[in-house]
Amino acid sequence: MAHPPQSVVRNRLLKAFPPEDFARIAPHLQSTDLPMQEPLIRSGVAVEHLYFPEDGICSITASGSDGRVEVGMIGREGVVGVVPVLTGGGQVPHDHFVQVPGLAHRIGTGPLCAAIEESDPLRRLLLRYLQVEVVQVRQTAFANASFTIEARLARWLLMCHDRLDGDDVLIKHEFLGMMLGVQRSGVTLALQNLEGAGRIRSRRGCITVLDRTLLEALAEGSYGVPEAEYARLIEGV
Amino acid sequence: MPRYFFHLHYGPGKRAPDPEGEILPGPEAVRAHALAAARGLVAQTRSDAVRDWFVCAFEVVDEAGTPVLTVPFGDILPDQGD
Repeated sequence: MAHPPQSVVRNRLLKAFPPEDFARIAPHLQSTDLPMQEPLIRSGVAVEHLYFPEDGICSITASGSDGRVEVGMIGREGVVGVVPVLTGGGQVPHDHFVQVPGLAHRIGTGPLCAAIEESDPLRRLLLRYLQVEVVQVRQTAFANASFTIEARLARWLLMCHDRLDGDDVLIKHEFLGMMLGVQRSGVTLALQNLEGAGRIRSRRGCITVLDRTLLEALAEGSYGVPEAEYARLIEGV
Repeated sequence: MPRYFFHLHYGPGKRAPDPEGEILPGPEAVRAHALAAARGLVAQTRSDAVRDWFVCAFEVVDEAGTPVLTVPFGDILPDQGD
């Protein structure tokens, strides 16, 4: 299949590529499904492919005796697997798996590394993206340490909403508890509180965002810092 | 194995119904699960809706809605004796 022109690509990072760099990598992009729960990168395993999501969401998770906790989220604003490629580290100690199914453009590490070697503007763009990922992780640590479950849930829903088409987030409470690192009952409680204020509608397995502005107010300072950094560093806003 | 629903009471007239439930072997496992969930909430979770986790209780019902157990969060504390 012919590769898509940059103008129709929906991944925001690919859209921000200098046109000559997009042309360099386009022949190596393959359209691929992101099926639910598919591991894209495994902890401690060499990264062979990177994924630029068009839609769908990838979670970066840390695992412990109590199960997984989400420590990072990547969707159409980013690329899955770029950190060990940029640093030359080869692999990372965290699993990356598909949390919301969708589509992505996949590329082998070889062709992307070659493009980075040939283009300083591309290297600088991806390093700026790396800064956004670092900021997101730091902000997640801050949110987990300092905010109530309601604020953290609001932040998480806003981050999903940013990366999805439409207003529905399909997820079970059990999985959401895992992602936020809280008891399922805590998620149920927080959803009820968010719903009571008209910010969301919660049905079994589906949360609908009704009012983003109210969610942003509830999330307070926990949401928005990496998003602003993305606008500044990637989209030049 | 049966499915049990852990409805959370968190103050007078305040109740968060459990829509998903948990599949567990029986009442003993239900109590252990409720205590573990209560410990997790008390130790790790701050909520805008709950000032004091120790006013909370799990009301556990089976799939028919029949009450199985009530587990007050105070039960996670060691018995002080009377």
